[in-house]
Amino acid sequence: MLNMFKSDLYRILKGKAIYVTFFVIVIMSLVSCIGMSAGHIGLSTGASNINMEDPQFVLELSRANSLKEVREVMTRKGAFPLDKDIISQNNNLYYMFIIIIVIVITTDFSNKTIKNTLSSAVSRKKYYFSKALLVLFLATIMILFNNYLSYFLNYWINGKEFTTSFLEFSKLTIIQLPLLYGIVSLLICFAFVFKKTSLFNTVSIPFIMITQLIVIIITNLFKLKANWFYEYEFQFALEKIVNHPNNKYLISIMILGCMYVLLFNVIGYYSFHKTEIK
Amino acid sequence: MKNIVLKTNELTKKYKNFIALDKVNLTIEKGDIYGLIGRNGAGKTTLMKIISTLSSKTDGEFELFECNNKNASEVKRRIGCLIENPAFYPNMSAYDNLKYYAIQKGIVDINQINEALKLVGLENVKKKKFKNFSLGMKQRLAIALAVMDHPDFIILDEPINGLDPIGISDLRNTFKTLNEQRGITILISSHILSELYALATKFCIIEHGKVIKELTKEELDLECSKCICIKTDDTKKAAIILEKELKTTNYKVIDQREIRLYDYLDHANQVNKALATNDVNVMSIIETGISLEDYFITILKEAN
Repeated sequence: MLNMFKSDLYRILKGKAIYVTFFVIVIMSLVSCIGMSAGHIGLSTGASNINMEDPQFVLELSRANSLKEVREVMTRKGAFPLDKDIISQNNNLYYMFIIIIVIVITTDFSNKTIKNTLSSAVSRKKYYFSKALLVLFLATIMILFNNYLSYFLNYWINGKEFTTSFLEFSKLTIIQLPLLYGIVSLLICFAFVFKKTSLFNTVSIPFIMITQLIVIIITNLFKLKANWFYEYEFQFALEKIVNHPNNKYLISIMILGCMYVLLFNVIGYYSFHKTEIK
Repeated sequence: MKNIVLKTNELTKKYKNFIALDKVNLTIEKGDIYGLIGRNGAGKTTLMKIISTLSSKTDGEFELFECNNKNASEVKRRIGCLIENPAFYPNMSAYDNLKYYAIQKGIVDINQINEALKLVGLENVKKKKFKNFSLGMKQRLAIALAVMDHPDFIILDEPINGLDPIGISDLRNTFKTLNEQRGITILISSHILSELYALATKFCIIEHGKVIKELTKEELDLECSKCICIKTDDTKKAAIILEKELKTTNYKVIDQREIRLYDYLDHANQVNKALATNDVNVMSIIETGISLEDYFITILKEAN
């Protein structure tokens, strides 16, 4: 398994995709720190530390034409923990995780190189677990890189008043990990079920948006209360455990994350175990 | 007693209503170059995929190096494979691709990569990206991967597809060298019968997932070579006449009613006369002998 790990790292570091991914993370962090506002994707309520209900502030923000102007508007509002805001928007990493899965797993299926590995090097069990562990390892590096880069860039660019204590920030980073691992496991499961890169991308890229859309349609059509869904939905949960943590909620999210890891890896492994390699 | 590298027992593979392999029994001994002959869809690749664990069997079992199929993963390191098309990472060079697999297989001596590339004649293009390779070069690289870690058994599915005549000849010599000098056992399939004949020491003809015939090169030579086919009701007496009257032992008793004589090819009348004079009833006496291709077609027709 260690050899599989080493060989995949050798291959990944020889390619460009991993460097491009980390470069995108650097850009995202820089833009967030300079603009003093974390990115918004999907249904996320985003920067909850800022009072978005102030109509004058929202108007000023919408009239800003450059990062510099956005920064001026944001600075006038006074100090707030921007680093927490940035990591509350870590749902953006979902798309970076997709890139990791593609370069570690689905490329083997698309190029059919999996035949070479399975026919004369390792068993399916070792193959699955070494790939899954490598993805989780790279995802961890990516999360830590994203979080601490944002933390230090924010400290350097915006100063101490916009920064949380290092200890609290580290605690929030660790709290986010189980849920992020759960989402990575969902993507690993998708990779071993759908195999080909094109099919995997088709399903995984719009997955979160489509899930949200379906829930909204159903809850609106049947006039159902969907609070339970929003409480545990990936984007909302990531934001809530950072900005409004309470012990009961934190524990339930951590259990949910661990259950995701277990469930999706079991499905992924059994699907792969039975599959015919073409 | 010879070591058995691969032994299949009633190996069967079904896809819903289609039987890809039907109770296949075959044995490959150490040092064999075992040629699989069959039409497209006959089951050659399916058999190779099951042995290399890329596909699962429906029924039956197989033993690799006397290790049951359930433990096949344990002996995987002793196998090198080229199944269907060569598959590598397109944006990596030939050398980097092989290095990736060398790390994966735990090969410490990196010189083995260069050795393998040299063996297939790719040492001068090792820095070239795989996506820029011709089909023949891709095929050679796949063979280099199959032999890189000095396996005991290599499985080659159509390895000479896309190669030029010189390439085919070079590879044939390479396979022979690997077999003779390193004692590597080879399971090979090809549609080019003449090539398979030039290389293999044993043959297996597969049709509709069933093994129709398994024979050695000597047996194939006998089946295909020119001879006089004598049909008689007393092969014992006929054999004595051939030895005493015609002074030849170059014949083979096929069954109770048929003898094949490999001498007197242009003198069938003389043979007939000798047998008839000695009261042997000759039902028919014909000169026969077919090409490998004709033999293959005949066998398939008989099977169908």
